Amino acid sequence: MSRDNILKTIRQNKPEFTPLPKYLEVTDPKPRRELLEIFEKSLNQVGAEFIELSLNEEIDSYLSFHFPEVHQIGKNGFRDEYSANCSKEKLDQIDTIILEGHLGVAENGAIWLDDSDFPNRLVPFVAQMVIISLDSAKILSNMTEAYHKLNMAGTGFGVFISGPSKTADIEQSLVYGAHGPKSLLVVIY
Amino acid sequence: MIGHSEKAAQFLKDENRADWHDQTLWMVRQKRDRAAWSVPEWEDLREEASQIKNHALSNLDNYLLQFEEKVIGNGATIHWASDAQEFNDLILRIIQKNGAKKIVKSKSMLTEECGLNPFLEKNGLEVVDTDLGERIIQFRNEPPSHIVLPAIHLKKEEIGELFEEKLKTAKGNSDPQYLTAAARSHLREKFLAADVAITGVNFAIADTGTVVVCTNEGNADMGVHAAKIQIHCMGIEKIIPGTNELAVFTRMLARSATGQPITTYTSHYREPKAGGQMHVVIVDNGRSKLLGNETYRNSLKCIRCGACMNTCPVYRRSGGHSYNYVIPGPIGSILGPDSDINKFKDLPFVSTLCGSCTNVCPVKINIHDLLYDWRQEISEKKLLPLSKRYLMKITGIVLAHNTVYNLSGKVARWAIRNLSGELIYHRINVWGRERELPEVPRESFKQWYRKNTLERRSVNEQG
Ligand code: SF4
Repeated sequence: MSRDNILKTIRQNKPEFTPLPKYLEVTDPKPRRELLEIFEKSLNQVGAEFIELSLNEEIDSYLSFHFPEVHQIGKNGFRDEYSANCSKEKLDQIDTIILEGHLGVAENGAIWLDDSDFPNRLVPFVAQMVIISLDSAKILSNMTEAYHKLNMAGTGFGVFISGPSKTADIEQSLVYGAHGPKSLLVVIY
Repeated sequence: MIGHSEKAAQFLKDENRADWHDQTLWMVRQKRDRAAWSVPEWEDLREEASQIKNHALSNLDNYLLQFEEKVIGNGATIHWASDAQEFNDLILRIIQKNGAKKIVKSKSMLTEECGLNPFLEKNGLEVVDTDLGERIIQFRNEPPSHIVLPAIHLKKEEIGELFEEKLKTAKGNSDPQYLTAAARSHLREKFLAADVAITGVNFAIADTGTVVVCTNEGNADMGVHAAKIQIHCMGIEKIIPGTNELAVFTRMLARSATGQPITTYTSHYREPKAGGQMHVVIVDNGRSKLLGNETYRNSLKCIRCGACMNTCPVYRRSGGHSYNYVIPGPIGSILGPDSDINKFKDLPFVSTLCGSCTNVCPVKINIHDLLYDWRQEISEKKLLPLSKRYLMKITGIVLAHNTVYNLSGKVARWAIRNLSGELIYHRINVWGRERELPEVPRESFKQWYRKNTLERRSVNEQG
């Protein structure tokens, strides 16, 4: 059987055991404001737009003013409408979607989302535009800190999203909206 | 078979294109530098990444077993394939068992290595590569010329003409924005119609059974979440212990590859979607044997970032297709001969041994040393063409003997000064092509050094 043969050859051939390295200190005691600034700089770099809003009401009125037709998780029965069994054709019609991010990473503008944030996994990829709201207290310095916070063993599907879908496959010219969202707006509160 | 130098000569015929290729990849290399320098602990990360890979390889069997157990526990199915043939058959069986016909695929060098696409097509299936660059070369019936930038050898006008034929885009329009939009709607149809999505794997996490895939376009996710069946294909060396290690690699991969701080999407697949199937296929295809080779096993640490290609002066000026092997550039020139020494014996010589590849490699593979080692081995096995063998032999004698060396230097200096260009730039002397010899000094370095140090010494003594 291939499995056993492969494992047998590995056992015979593997080098002498070497330990894992000692990792660098992971916690970065930067003040919140500074982390936010680095995060916003990263968002700029990866082609995401962002806006800082303070109160919950402000977010609601901003979004309903600018995106009156937008789908929002937890509102208007979105979860039922776009459930795991929803047809692909219907999902394909989603124009703009607002999601809530779990945490943000200052060094690269990545925001973590997982199965608990959308009823159907295709949602954040198939939408033409994605808006992610994020609590500024949940911005961490780097990927090491971020993975420490996440429970990978309990995540069926999870993704770090950093900016809108992009490609530079034609002569290295950067184009947004290769397949997924053409733009990403991060609402930081 | 045509070797690298002949293919490179073809590539260089179009001087503008060759210059563009060179400069564009150098630009990517510079972006990589800026990204790396923005992380103060970059060199520490490289050391960590290198040690993690050493560790994972030294405990590979146990990590694979742990990974297998988790994958099964997660409700996914695991498969093992010893070689390309078994891998291809296995994928075909999964597809046929489910009565599937339409397949979308995101980038995977492993499936290129195994020739999966032509195999599935021969069996009457539609396989659509969904990465834009991959789709372009699939339309052209070509292999990728770079592992991260598969269509980097093409100009936008060529892609415009190609899309005009394949996607009915407007004649003469080669605007990247316009062409990308056309590909977007074409591929969206394919995503929504697909029964099966196949992806490669960047990292496989042993302690949770998660596979991690990194893309900028989001094509892996469009495929995986739209199709009922998802298949992830990985070489045995993709295993890492846990998320501490994943953190190190996600900090380095995109920075090394394109100079981005991270790819747009870093997707973590652990469980199948509701009502869906998830398959993970572990492939050996020569890797476990390579693990036993003390000299070259380091090449298994590669995370396929492409940095060694972007920085390589030979790759940049000869293009990925010149290498013939599925993975071009410095790392491919180590892996190629391992897969077939006779077929790829010229590749380790396709390098200046400048060491730039080794300097940028995020997992610290000593790439140029390994290329040198291959040269030794290939020379010892007498696999070199005769002209190269005799030249090396003569060079060896000259370098080993002081008087011969001094004399030949004198002769060469005289010859370059006094012989006609016709003789020097003769067809037999391939080094004369495209090269102007420098003006020769009257004396050798040795003579100059002796004179100068003696003079200086006497000045010092006097002063
Ligand atoms: S050898 Fe190193 S630099 Fe080259 S692709 Fe692999 S990881 Fe990147």
